[in-house]
Amino acid sequence: MNKRAKGCAETLKHLDDYLDRELSPKEIAEVEAHLAECSDCHDEFSVERELLDCVREKLRHLRVPGDLMKRIAARIAEE
Amino acid sequence: MSALAVAPADRHAELWTMNVRRDDRAEFERELAPHLARAYATAMRLTRNPADAEDLVQDAALLAYRGFKTYERGTNFGAWFLRILMNSFLSARRKHRAEDHAVALDDVPNAYIQRRAHELVTAAPEAALTSGDVVRGVIAKLETEQVEAAIDALPDEFRAVATLYFLQDLPYKEIAELLRIPVGTVRSRLHRGRALLQRRLWEIAMDEGLVPAAGKRP
Repeated sequence: MNKRAKGCAETLKHLDDYLDRELSPKEIAEVEAHLAECSDCHDEFSVERELLDCVREKLRHLRVPGDLMKRIAARIAEE
Repeated sequence: MSALAVAPADRHAELWTMNVRRDDRAEFERELAPHLARAYATAMRLTRNPADAEDLVQDAALLAYRGFKTYERGTNFGAWFLRILMNSFLSARRKHRAEDHAVALDDVPNAYIQRRAHELVTAAPEAALTSGDVVRGVIAKLETEQVEAAIDALPDEFRAVATLYFLQDLPYKEIAELLRIPVGTVRSRLHRGRALLQRRLWEIAMDEGLVPAAGKRP
């Protein structure tokens, strides 16, 4: 997060889009070229990915009411 | 032709129709079952209320059943059902438009948690921790309920986008189609929403003492 090599700030701007696979192939190549030579940015991108994966995993801890399917089936049967 | 002569044919048609309906129903329920938990989780984050979430899923299921003949067998039932669920959600939300309100938001930078973690480790160099250590320490301790609370605290527009992003793992373009907003709006709401989510998670982590002790300000 501190001032580092030239290109860090530019690369960090692409952090979200890169992790979301929303960059063009050219932009991906530019980001990855920087990550290959800058361990600080590489670490930051890795930690950010872990954080997103953690949020995703926690939110997918699914708890559905046990009889929801039964209630849906009952409503459909009334159709 | 007498009424008596027609009756058996009518009865046959009626039984046939009932059997078709029963088969359709069974097939529909078989298709829906594997997608129900994620649909409910999505509805929970969209509505933030178990009763509303269940109503939303039930209403969407009924609409889907009525339109089941338009579902192309062998295609992605989950995606088809999600579209119906989101249409139901958007329709219901439009009816309660008065409840919507613009939310003034501070600018929150991306990678918010890493920035705060970096400040902590810089202020306490003797701890010899990296910001990554601090973030990983927080990640390891966060509970599902805390993450749900953080996403529920997001304003509506950000929460809808973040819900589809995290729970359905959709690209920006598909989120845009489901919410009927431009892709650029999805991108900006998602980036902003993610930053706000991180800020809330950091606040929770600080309040609950989840930040590794050595990372705390001396």
